[in-house]
Amino acid sequence: MSAPKLNVSDVATLARLALTKEETEKFTAQLGQVLAHMEALAKIPTENVPEVHPPDHPVLRKDVPSPSLPVEIALSNAPAQANDLIVVPKIVE
Amino acid sequence: MSANGKWEAVIGLEVHCQVRTATKMFCGCANQYGDAPNTHVCPVCLGLPGSLPVPNEEAIRKTILTGFMLGCQIAPVARFDRKNYFYPDMPKNYQISQYDDPLCAGGSVGLDPFQFPKELQETEEAQARRKIRLVRIHLEEDVAKSFHFEERSGIDFNRAGTPLMEIVTEADLRTPGEAFAFLGSLRQILWAGGVSDADMEKGQLRCDVNISVRPAGESKFGTKVELKNLNSISGVRRALVHEIARQIAVVEKGGSLVQETRRWDDNAGATFTMRTKEQAHDYRYFPDPDLLPVRTDRGLQEAAKKSVPELPSEMQARLVKDFGVTAYQASVLACDRVLCGFYEKAAAATKNKAAVANWILNDFLSTQPDPATTPVKPEYFAELADLVTAGKINSAQGKKVFAELVANPSSPHEIVKKMGLEQISDTGALAAMCEEAIAANPRSVEDYRAGKMNAINALKGFVMKKSQGKANPVQIDEILKQKLGG
Amino acid sequence: MSLAHETVASLRRRLAKKEIKSRDIVTDLLKEIDAREKTIHAYTQVDRESALKAADLADVSLPLGGIPIALKDNLNATGDPCTCSSKILEGYKAPYDATAVARLRQAGAVFLGRTNMDEFAMGSSTENSALGVTRNPWDSSRIPGGSSGGSAAAVAGRIALAALGSDTGGSIRQPAALCGCVGLKPTYGRISRYGLVAFASSLDQIGPLTRTVEDSALLLSSLAGHDPRDNTTDPRPPETFLSKPTNSVKGLKVGLPKEYFIPGMDGETEQAVRAAADWLQKNGAEIKEVSLPLTPSAIAVYYILATAEASANLARFDGVRYGRRAADPRDVLDLYQRTREEGFGPEVKRRIILGTFVLSAGYTDAYYRKAQKVRGLIRQDFEKAFQGCDLLLTPTSPEPAFKLGERTQDPLKMYLADVFTISVNLAGTCGISLPCGFTQSNLPIGLQLIGPRFGEEKMLQAAHTYEQSHDFWKRMPPL
Repeated sequence: MSAPKLNVSDVATLARLALTKEETEKFTAQLGQVLAHMEALAKIPTENVPEVHPPDHPVLRKDVPSPSLPVEIALSNAPAQANDLIVVPKIVE
Repeated sequence: MSANGKWEAVIGLEVHCQVRTATKMFCGCANQYGDAPNTHVCPVCLGLPGSLPVPNEEAIRKTILTGFMLGCQIAPVARFDRKNYFYPDMPKNYQISQYDDPLCAGGSVGLDPFQFPKELQETEEAQARRKIRLVRIHLEEDVAKSFHFEERSGIDFNRAGTPLMEIVTEADLRTPGEAFAFLGSLRQILWAGGVSDADMEKGQLRCDVNISVRPAGESKFGTKVELKNLNSISGVRRALVHEIARQIAVVEKGGSLVQETRRWDDNAGATFTMRTKEQAHDYRYFPDPDLLPVRTDRGLQEAAKKSVPELPSEMQARLVKDFGVTAYQASVLACDRVLCGFYEKAAAATKNKAAVANWILNDFLSTQPDPATTPVKPEYFAELADLVTAGKINSAQGKKVFAELVANPSSPHEIVKKMGLEQISDTGALAAMCEEAIAANPRSVEDYRAGKMNAINALKGFVMKKSQGKANPVQIDEILKQKLGG
Repeated sequence: MSLAHETVASLRRRLAKKEIKSRDIVTDLLKEIDAREKTIHAYTQVDRESALKAADLADVSLPLGGIPIALKDNLNATGDPCTCSSKILEGYKAPYDATAVARLRQAGAVFLGRTNMDEFAMGSSTENSALGVTRNPWDSSRIPGGSSGGSAAAVAGRIALAALGSDTGGSIRQPAALCGCVGLKPTYGRISRYGLVAFASSLDQIGPLTRTVEDSALLLSSLAGHDPRDNTTDPRPPETFLSKPTNSVKGLKVGLPKEYFIPGMDGETEQAVRAAADWLQKNGAEIKEVSLPLTPSAIAVYYILATAEASANLARFDGVRYGRRAADPRDVLDLYQRTREEGFGPEVKRRIILGTFVLSAGYTDAYYRKAQKVRGLIRQDFEKAFQGCDLLLTPTSPEPAFKLGERTQDPLKMYLADVFTISVNLAGTCGISLPCGFTQSNLPIGLQLIGPRFGEEKMLQAAHTYEQSHDFWKRMPPL
């Protein structure tokens, strides 16, 4: 794990953040420091990590309907809506 | 194999199948198609801040059931992972799916010859009943549905969060016909288990295809292309036919193919580039920390095992063996469990099981009945078959009885009495009618004695008319021949 | 004396005796808010009218009947904003109650207002709020800690009786220490996270900030318990905590992890915490030195796992279904990128970038998966330590409150301030911070007691005994 290649621009694209040039430079420096601090993890032996067992208690939901939100409430926070649909710019495949 | 035998297509399918449950995968909203938009949503499936998922037990049970039906190994512990990407139909911009530990691994789907396109059913390829191996089956949540207008798109989140089974095959398929048959055969099995309605047109069954070509006999894989936007089983076949030809045309000229995703356009009848490998998503899978691992060996597997039905292939084999129906008839019956139940009830009441199959599949089915609610009792067909076999009525009369049976359902015995259709088998009475016929048709008698065997038909016709169709045709044939001395 | 200066427990007793009414408590609190909120800025909103209305309708026979409580602004409460101190949630009104909020409602509590925080709980100073900073009531030029800085400052500043916060890497305990009040992070799985806007799902826990340990136990009793809406909650039956105070630490085995007493740490902090250890020993507890050898790697593990989970949890803030949307987006991509660029502050963006990176193709094994494995070892460290001890004792923060603006340009330095609290979240056990002294300049110092998973009762007992034998909890900031 030497000198990680953090390309802030590429990662920002993955994360849908339109960073400014300034931000990209600043974050590269700051996160570079943070990542350098993380280098030490590589040296820790992790062959014998205890396994985490699944719980014994039931964790599933029975297939029984529960009330949905009324459509006005469901859409009440939508920045744009029409005909009970949430509206966005045209999605192009 | 291509027409000139030089190239071979290598095909794998990724099938997404909506699981039939009352509620969504991770919340209690109704899993319902066709209702007004955004009427089945809640903080969880809308991806509101602070919401958390809780898995649907029935969806998991049905996925395990599917695994049993297809001969998969079931994972003793089920885990969920987050698949991260941004899209407007994704409420959280990650999809809860399974990556490292799918519920089911391995398994296979046998290709049913009767699920091939009709014109291919008699071919060697269809008759081979190849088994297509599966890689895995896993469970995930479906995305919302978008509607596209001129300048905007609208999103309905009713579908978001419904349970979806993803079935991935090995690259075992070799022809568009096989892919067609795979989907049909899979659908039969899903119906048998009550797992899904699997209607492609309703989006309940969706299919992406991976296709590459290679020189015949080569074991290395060629460049793989993924096809999307296939909206029907025949569309899958059409798309494959086109794409295989396209790929062969490129490689035959010595060109190379791009590893990419292409979109099938059914209207244009062609595939178009969607995105290349470089533009492919980095899904950054990691275990979903909101969901605890689920033990399947603490009751879920047992519950699923109890509901494993007789598989279509098993049912077909049994019907042919125990009931003597044809393979084709068996495939029709295996497609419709209610109809098959109706048939089996009828067949149980008689030894003439094949005849009953004919009545039900040839005659009854064409009246488009609903076998679940029809007032025509299955036992009536057993009676009808017995009456004809015993010679009490002839087959022409049988058809009359059948018509009345459908119009005014009651026992065939009663119908025969009511319509006065008992076949006349009294030798004396028949002999008298035959003598009449001979007396009334001297020309035909002469012709017959002169060697024209068919001339007897006019005499037979006379007797049948005289007897109002009730004469036993086999007996009058014997009697006439005897009297004519032939 | 203003009712705002009393504790929840004492006010409950007076309400029961009908000496006072809930409205009286709310009125006194509002007076204190009018006097000091302008300086402290603990609140993102104060619900005067609705609090008074609710007070009049309060059923004082319920466990928290008539008690006004403030909510950190990342808890959904029906009809209220839930800003998480971020621009991206402008305009959002919650259509549902967080389970914790619903339980407080069911217990008769009255909601007074919503408190300021570091944006999306990412920070240790509340300086990352898009809605302005909160100031430490003991010294308004200093931070209150974070991310639950508003809740801690309100409670300490006597402008709230009690408040809910959330703790992912110390965000309840550290501000409690810096503000001189009590902050409890329950065991992971104790309190439902349904309705808490998620930062790091495997680390987040809701918890109370209060003046006393007794108050903390009161709130915990109403909040804890299995929730079918949160798969990660534990199914054990409900408990009432600290119902019979033992008032004794005799026989208690208390471990001091040597990695938490490092050379060069703040002298006054070390002194105060060691004095507490001495007190415990004098009163019958056994003090032993223990080791948590993986402590130095905890920050790295935390900042890999927490940011990874956060990068996914914050992906939903995209301007599509709620919150702020960038104006006139050209297309969907523009909608996403600009909404998020404009809506998130720098610390949030930094953590999303880091979290996305450690999960990305080619790096996920070295970072994310490696950190998960080391986390397992850290958990094991704690389990081993608790084999020989009932509780662990540490400082909560390596130093008292630093000045506003001092660390904002140095994220790594800011991260390193979490060193004493972070491992408790990684191990999923419980921890509580309470006052154990003051610096020369009258800044609070907090000690942290750490219990094993679901060991809150023993932890609260010890904390309560220590607290009531000292006067630290009574000291008030300049009002």
